[in-house]
Amino acid sequence: MNVEHRPAVPTNVLIVGVGGQGVIMVSKVLASLCQQAGLEVKQSEVHGMAKRGGSVFSHVRFGETVLSPMIAHGEADIMVALEWAEGLRWLDYLKRDGGTFIADTQQIVPPVSFRNRRRGARSGYAPATPAEVIDLVGNGFALDATRMAAGLGNERVANTVLLGALSTALPFPREGWLGVLDGLVPPKTTEVNRRAFDAGREWVQNFDRPAEQAAAAVAVPVSGDGLDHRLEITEAWCKGCDICVKMCPERCLTLNARHIVELTDPAACTACRLCEWLCPDFAIRVLTASAPAPALAK
Amino acid sequence: MDTASANDFDIRDYLRVELLPHFMCPGCGHGIALRALLWAVHDLKLAKDRLAIVSGIGCSGRVGAYIDANTFHVTHGRPLAFATGLALARPDLEVIVITGDGDCLAIGGNHLIHACRRNLHLTCLMFNNEIYGMTGGQVSPTTADDRLTTTTPYGNAEPSFDACALAAAAGASFVGRGMTLQTVALKNLIRDAISHRGFSFVEVISDCTEIFGRKNDLGSSPEMILRQKGSMKPDTYGNVVDRPFRPNAVQTGVLARNDRPEYGDAYRAAVLGAAGAAVAG
Ligand SMILES: Cc1ncc(C[n+]2csc(CCOP(=O)(O)OP(=O)(O)O)c2C)c(N)n1
Ligand code: SF4
Ligand code: SF4
Ligand code: SF4
Ligand SMILES: [Mg+2]
Repeated sequence: MNVEHRPAVPTNVLIVGVGGQGVIMVSKVLASLCQQAGLEVKQSEVHGMAKRGGSVFSHVRFGETVLSPMIAHGEADIMVALEWAEGLRWLDYLKRDGGTFIADTQQIVPPVSFRNRRRGARSGYAPATPAEVIDLVGNGFALDATRMAAGLGNERVANTVLLGALSTALPFPREGWLGVLDGLVPPKTTEVNRRAFDAGREWVQNFDRPAEQAAAAVAVPVSGDGLDHRLEITEAWCKGCDICVKMCPERCLTLNARHIVELTDPAACTACRLCEWLCPDFAIRVLTASAPAPALAK
Repeated sequence: MDTASANDFDIRDYLRVELLPHFMCPGCGHGIALRALLWAVHDLKLAKDRLAIVSGIGCSGRVGAYIDANTFHVTHGRPLAFATGLALARPDLEVIVITGDGDCLAIGGNHLIHACRRNLHLTCLMFNNEIYGMTGGQVSPTTADDRLTTTTPYGNAEPSFDACALAAAAGASFVGRGMTLQTVALKNLIRDAISHRGFSFVEVISDCTEIFGRKNDLGSSPEMILRQKGSMKPDTYGNVVDRPFRPNAVQTGVLARNDRPEYGDAYRAAVLGAAGAAVAG
């Protein structure tokens, strides 16, 4: 196989995810392909256990000559994240201008990050929407690779979907990728892996930027004691712990469907501030600017 | 001093808001403890430039990183050692240590007793959640009897420290305990501890909702914080009411206080006196 593209400076690809997703498989395919193309390749991987979920990453560097096996901060040309929050965790490795971010939007959420212990509760893990993140990185693709893989009949080929997406960002031909892939996956799964590869490739080729969603800040007037107070909620900081809801003496707060606090009975709120004081996340502020100091004050 | 009407206190003035939401788990008491500290700083009208926060390693230590002041996040167990050097070199700063039960009493236990003994002007806030929260829930020197942790899967058999009794016995000249449930009282206690000239030790009863709470089946975050009420030693209730609370009664407020000589002053007098004598001789 021949590649014209032989830059003097190595190309850096960082692949991240959590244990068991196939980070190493993606990096092996890429490294073998580069080797076949006659390039020098260095690959280094760490599968450590971070506190909240096991973090796995692999650095692949290839080019005419490659000295260090490690990619420095802000030096990755391409980053592939098999898990969404892992992608965010490593984002500072991506080149500021011109780095490409490719990520599965699926989150593997460690139990400790749940906002609420009720069945079906949403987690507060990586709350930024894919659109927000893609906007931030400039050049990025956030695809639901896990669902695409499940649609092909095997959730485990999500890594191959992302490999297909990655293939669009590098100068190797499709057949080269598929050849290496065939040699590395179990023979029984060759077919589904090939389809997954093409699905990821096509997704990027037909990419349309999704519409943005803005987070809203809310300040609501409250009047439980007949005075003119306001209660301000910073939604983005609320983790839905339920403390304010249960501790409010007037029962005016509730968690909404997204498990974010909401003032549902502003007429009952006396601006007692208990919710403000007990919120571990500073998500509530009570403003009593226009009111005389309450009797408690002195 | 006013409490409920402190409308001018906006915690965001004291936070590195760009780092929020903070890393702590939903319901974690350390966030409330942080509010109490910053509110106390506000009450004292301490300029942020004059404030130096030194914190150790742990979820408690991480809290320091969110404070918009001079902050030092140092090695595990050593915040008191760093703070001692800082307070001696820069007596113009108000040095406050944030530490955890593991950081302060296990690996850092030796630093604690000597800081108490020395009586240098420092404030040490120990966020006590009875566990090593950050590392996934190992037993700590304050874990109560029979509690489940990752290292005591059959229940904790070790007796625990009463950190306040320890600090008082080692000579701390201001010792107090507060709980996150009583945010205003906690704020006032921290304010008094900072104002005290000498070494102040404050134990803050805090909840590790996600690890300690889950391991020990203590319910949701609001249930956990309400349990603090049950563990409190009521001084206004009669016998009948408080009886059920007796077994794990925890006393809050200022527990020990005296005005013995502050070490920084004594040190400077001795050293500068000696230096002066050397020059003169
Ligand atoms: C020298 C050293 N030993 C061990 C550790 C691992 N470690 C990190 S935090 C921690 C315990 C923290 O417990 P605590 O002080 O109670 O803080 P919490 O997380 O509960 O607030 C330990 C043992 C370390 N970081 N450094
Ligand atoms: S200020 Fe008091 S009454 Fe109003 S929502 Fe908060 S806790 Fe409830
Ligand atoms: S506003 Fe604060 S106390 Fe209320 S649910 Fe959200 S994080 Fe918890
Ligand atoms: S592990 Fe425990 S102490 Fe640490 S942030 Fe979570 S709840 Fe708080
Ligand atoms: Mg602890």
